[in-house]
Parts: sequence; structure tokens; C-alpha cells
Amino acid sequence: MSFALDGAGLTHANGFTALSGITLRANKGERIALIGPSGAGKTSLLSVLGTALAPSAGSVEVLDFGFPGASTAGMPSFPRKRESMSANEISGVSLASRLRTRIGTIHQAPPIPGRQRVVTAVLAGKLGQWPAWKSLASLLYPLDVAGARATLERLDLADKLFARCDQLSGGQLQRVGIARVLYQQAELILADEPVSALDPALALATVHQLTADTEARGATLVASLHAVDLALNCFPRIVGIKGGRIAFDLPAGEVSEALLHDLYASEGQTLPTLANEPRFTTLAAANDPATRAACC
Amino acid sequence: MLLNPAPPRDPAARGRLSGALLALVILWPLFRAAEFKPGALFDSSNLKVIGHFLAGFLPPERGAEFLAYLGKATLETLAIATAGLALAFVLAVPLGYLATAAGREQPTLNPLSRSLLTILRGIPELVWALLFVRVFGLGPAAGVLALGLTYGGMLAKVYAEILESVDPAPAHALRHNGAGRPLAILYGLLPQASKELASYTVYRWECAIRASVVMGFVGAGGLGQLMDQAMKMLNGGEAASILLTFMLLVFAADGISGWLRRALDTPPAARASPFGWRSISFLLVLPSAIIASFHWLEIGFGELFTAGAAHSIGEFVAGFLPPDLSSDWLARVGLGIWETLAISVVGTLLAAASGLLLALPKWRAPFSFLLNTLRSVPELVWATITALAVGLGPFAGALALALHTTGVLGRLYAEALDNAPAAPGHALRLAGAPTGLSFLYGTLPGAAPQLIAYTLYRWEMNIRMAAILGFVGAGGLGQLLYFELSLFHHAQASTVIIAMLILSIAVDQTSAWLRQRLR
Repeated sequence: MSFALDGAGLTHANGFTALSGITLRANKGERIALIGPSGAGKTSLLSVLGTALAPSAGSVEVLDFGFPGASTAGMPSFPRKRESMSANEISGVSLASRLRTRIGTIHQAPPIPGRQRVVTAVLAGKLGQWPAWKSLASLLYPLDVAGARATLERLDLADKLFARCDQLSGGQLQRVGIARVLYQQAELILADEPVSALDPALALATVHQLTADTEARGATLVASLHAVDLALNCFPRIVGIKGGRIAFDLPAGEVSEALLHDLYASEGQTLPTLANEPRFTTLAAANDPATRAACC
Repeated sequence: MLLNPAPPRDPAARGRLSGALLALVILWPLFRAAEFKPGALFDSSNLKVIGHFLAGFLPPERGAEFLAYLGKATLETLAIATAGLALAFVLAVPLGYLATAAGREQPTLNPLSRSLLTILRGIPELVWALLFVRVFGLGPAAGVLALGLTYGGMLAKVYAEILESVDPAPAHALRHNGAGRPLAILYGLLPQASKELASYTVYRWECAIRASVVMGFVGAGGLGQLMDQAMKMLNGGEAASILLTFMLLVFAADGISGWLRRALDTPPAARASPFGWRSISFLLVLPSAIIASFHWLEIGFGELFTAGAAHSIGEFVAGFLPPDLSSDWLARVGLGIWETLAISVVGTLLAAASGLLLALPKWRAPFSFLLNTLRSVPELVWATITALAVGLGPFAGALALALHTTGVLGRLYAEALDNAPAAPGHALRLAGAPTGLSFLYGTLPGAAPQLIAYTLYRWEMNIRMAAILGFVGAGGLGQLLYFELSLFHHAQASTVIIAMLILSIAVDQTSAWLRQRLR
């Protein structure tokens, strides 16, 4: 069991309900794509799985750490902290931080200071696992250049190892954020639109690296994706989300045109895809064994 | 994938190492020159003196006669600041207009007015005050003139820079249509820059209050003069009352200046008349405050422009020429420069370290109070106290600078850290990193350029301050100047003033270069 949500709901302090009645389970090593229109609750769901937000209803169990929602037990071990800029965050209890070192989150906007060098930004993935002296010394001289370089090489960024992050393009910076999480070697990787700033070819290659990495290590991957074809091609299991609820939860091969049409009903006729091609091509490609083999 | 087994070496490591070594090689002798020995703080005989003095602080003096003096001195301080800033404004508007490249067809730097501004700013206000006291005698007139000249130079420079920093297109368009330069600036640039100009002027008024407190130390009236007397007689009770008054005054000025700046931020009401009740009452209060200040100080500026005054000024100035350039004297001045540099560097570094520590805690209230208290006491007043604590000499000066600067930098650092992007630190904590490391890896890099810039700007101010701390026995160029002036050795004094000027220009350049390098 990698995680289990049981009737989880999330209502923000301003009364907006982002998620309701989410029941979702995943075994170790599963690869799941979250799809759905903007504002459907994909990011909120990933935040709850990443313990960034506490559920306001239902219960959540992540990597064998359980914490019930507010309605059931008042979250004794995860006290709600003051309202921060965007989210009410769970405070860093040592138990929580030990759990968190096992979860890697790829954020939509790479949260990396511009003045930091790429090598430092990647090595920061292990701050929760390294002893404090090592993290401090690494600020003066990066202590695992080889490791950072090997990770960047997989994302075709090895030449930027010692560049400063404010010299990178948006797409390069996004891949640095991914490299950090790959370097962290988390058991559960949560990716929020991980390839939104990349061109189609690079997006495909990058998602491939993510799936290959998790598959090789037996880790779990949950990625929200804007491009439906990418999701259908590269992920065995697809979860459609709409209005804070799960619309469907099916193997990729069983996702029908009608389901997709319903899911994106408000976004007009065309489905969001990498190349924004008509959707029959998408589905055809998804079911074409050659494409599937090439990707995953 | 290419075969590339050996990981590359960090190309920045060599630069970092040599930078660190260079800093050590430069800083070590500077710390030596500042006679940095924290042990002196805990020396038993020093502890006894300062303990005795501080014990005298309680209870603060509240005798009716003393309080009357105190009230009068407070008003005098306020009046000096207000009159001085009014004079500075009158000087700054034409000088700023001449110096700025704004509204010119060809961007030119007016070298003549620029260098005049540098001289006005480069000589600390206290040195001007000391000189004016010699010409016009003891009293507030010297303080007002000194403030007017130095702050005139500062205001003019900043006005010029603000006008240059706004979008030049409207002024260019007006000039193409045949408008003259003054009108092009008034209609094209002023509307964009007015808020910043006003805000900076208000901020300078706040600084002028702190500065005029200090003027008294060279006999230019106000609270400083009372403080000087109290310290010389080691009267702790009076010193405590005066210090409390300082703080109240500075807090009040802070409050008024904050209120004025917020008022500038509120959008104007939609009506034809540009004035509301607030601006009308402000326009009434401001001139009356200025007139009242000049009246209260009884400065007859008419007397300054008589033939007799002109003659005595001429004679006084002639005494400074030519400066003493004998090698003996130059060597002593060189030593003074080195000591002054040491005081400013050590003071600023100590302040940067303690300011950062005090800026970190999340629960701000007690720390903000501590920082405000440190900040509200001027360096020169701190120096009279630190001189008791560690004995006369450069270390007392460095400590005094550090105490005041800690207050300033701590507050600025806290704001900068608050404004730094929060997402990187959040993300690291979310990946299980401890809070301290998330700060170092996530938050600090975002705030670092600001922190460095603030520190270097303060260093530029501190070099000017370090040059005058010697007036109360804290070593460096100030001690030389004070000594020579009291012996009427004007030629020697003039060498010291030139040295101060060169030093402050050199530090400005170094700091600008460092800011560029560390960006």
C-alpha cells in the first residue's frame, strides 16, 4: 500500500471546497495520471497526498502513516498552522518530516532560488536525509557532484551542472526541479504538471524518465498532466477529476472518448493534448502498441 | 550517454577559496587595527565603571528644573532638524536640477555640480557643525547650517537619481513639442516621481532629528549638548532621562514619517480641486513649523551676510589653506585613515552578524523593540557609553557603530527576509528538510542580494560616522581633527578633512564595485 484516501475532503478557510469524498488507493509501484479541467482539484489532491494540506474530512494514509481528517479526530499529530500565503500547512513535527523525506513533490512552478546553482538545487533534494553537517558543508563545496551530474544527465541537462538557475530557461528550470526529486529517491513521487513548460518531444522524454525511474525503484508515481495523450500513452492507470470529485478511475485502455468528452465538457470540443491534435489520433496512439512500447 | 566517469570539479571552488583567503588577509589587520578584544567588555575594572554608571540610570532624573531644560532642548532639537531640512531642500532643488540628466536631450552628467554634491555629502555633518561653531560661535545656527549643507547634498543626489530612474519618454515628447527643460520635468517626470521624492524627503527629516541630537556634542545646542554634559559628569540619572527622550522623539518621528508615507499611498479623491482637508492642513502646518523653527532658534541669517561676517569667514577659510602636506603629518593622517577604515569595517561586520541573528526569530515583537531601541540611540551617544565599557580607543568606536547599525540592519534584514520568495523554503520543508537548512538552501539565496546591498550601503554611511566618532575619544580621523581644531592648527585640520573626503569617496566606489560583483 502506497497511499489510501478514504472519503477525503478539503475545504479551505475561505469556505471553498476543493475536494470532497475522494476515495483512492494505490499499491507500491503504481503509476497514475490525474487528468481533468483546470481548477478540478488536481493540485489540491496532490497537496493532501504530500501532507502539505491536512484533509478537512475523511482519512488519509500515506506510506503507512495515517492521519485522520479534522472531522474525525482533530488531527492531534498534525496541528493546523496559521494561514500562510496560499495554504494552511501542516507543521513540521519530526514524525512528519521523516515521512516527508520519503515523498518527493514536483511543483508546478519550480521552487528554486534564482541565485542558486543547479548543482546545489539538485543536492537540496537530500536535505532531509543527509546529516546536518553534510548539508552545511555542501553549501561551501557541493559534496555529491557525481550524483547531481548523473541525475541531470538523465534529463539532458548535464552541461548546466554549475550554471546559476537564473540563467536557465523556464523549461530547463522545470527539469532542474524534476532532477531534485529524482535525486531525492522518494518512495512516492507527486508531480504537478511536471512538463508544462517543455516542448512535446522533451515532455515525452522527461515523463519517460520519471516513469522509468519509479518503475526501476518500485516507487509510486502520481502525476497531474494537462496533455491527455501523454497521460494515456505513458500511464497504466488514469484518474479523471472534475469539480473536486473523482469522475473515473480506469486502466488507460478503458478510457473512452465519451468519458474524456464529459470530463472536459466545459473546455470546448478539442481535448488538451501535447500537439493539440484531434482526439481520435490521441486515442489511436494510446492504443497503438508500438507507441506504448516506445514510451513506457 | 557519454562515458564520463570522473565527476567534474566545481569550477567556482578556486574562486571561493581565494576570495575567502583574500578576505581573511584584509580583515585580520583591520580587526587588529580596531583593537578588537571582546575580553575588554568583561574586564573587571571596566565592568565596575559601567556598572556603577548604569546603576545610576535608576531612577531617571525628574527634577522640575532639569525637566524644563530637557523640554527646551527637545524643542531645540526638533527646530534644528526642521530648519536644517528646509535649508537643505532649498539647496537641493536647484542643485538636483543641475546635476540630473533627466529631461536633457543628450544625457550628460554635469560634472561640476556632481562633484560639488560629493563634497557636500562627503564631509560629515558633524565636521561642518564643528567648523561653523568656530565661525558663528556656539549655538544652533551652526547645527542648522551643517544639516542644510550635508542633507542638501544628499537630497540633491537622490532627487537627481530618482528623476533619472523614471520613464523618460513623456519628458522627451514634451521637449520635442518645444517645451523647455523645467516644464518638461514638471509635466513629464514629476508626476511619476513625486511620491518617491516626497517619501525620501520625509525619511530624511527623520534622519535629521537623529543627526541634530548629535550636533550638541560639538556645541550646536539641543539634546546632544545636555547629553554631553551629563556623560562628562557621569550623571546616570540625567543620562537616562535624556536617552528616554531621544527614544520617544525618534519613535514619534518614525510614526509621523510612516503616517505621511502611507498618506502618500492613498489614492486621491475624485474631485477637481487637487487639495483635500489633509493636504490643506499639511500645507498650513509645514510652513508654520519651518517659520516657528527659525524663530525659536533666533537665527538671524541677516547677520551672516554682513561685511564683517564675510571678512571673518574669509579669514577662517584662509587659515585652512594650504593644507599641511608634510610627510610626518601625512603619515599620522594615513594611520588615522587606516584606523577609521578598521572601525567602520569591524563595526559593520559585527552589526551584520548580530542583525541577522535578531532578524531570524519568527516571534517578532520583543526583537523589533530591541532593534528599535538600538537604532534610536545615535552612534555618537553609544560611543560615550561604550567608551566607558571598554575604555577610550577604536574598539569603543567599532562597538558603538555595531550597536546602532545592528538596530538598522536587523530591521531591514527582517523586512528583506519577509519579502523573499517563500516557495523554495516551503518546498524543502515539504521534502522533509529541517527548518534551518530549508532557510539556508531555500530562503536565504532569495534574500541575499538585498541583505548584501543593505550591508554595503550601511558601510558607506558608517565610514562617515567612523570618521567623527573620534570626537568623543573613539580614535581614528575624528580624534585627530578634534584635537587639531581645538589647538587652532587649521592647516593640519584641513588635511584631515580632505582625508575624510577621499576616504568616503573611495568607500563609495568600493561598495558599488562589490555590489556589482556579488550580484
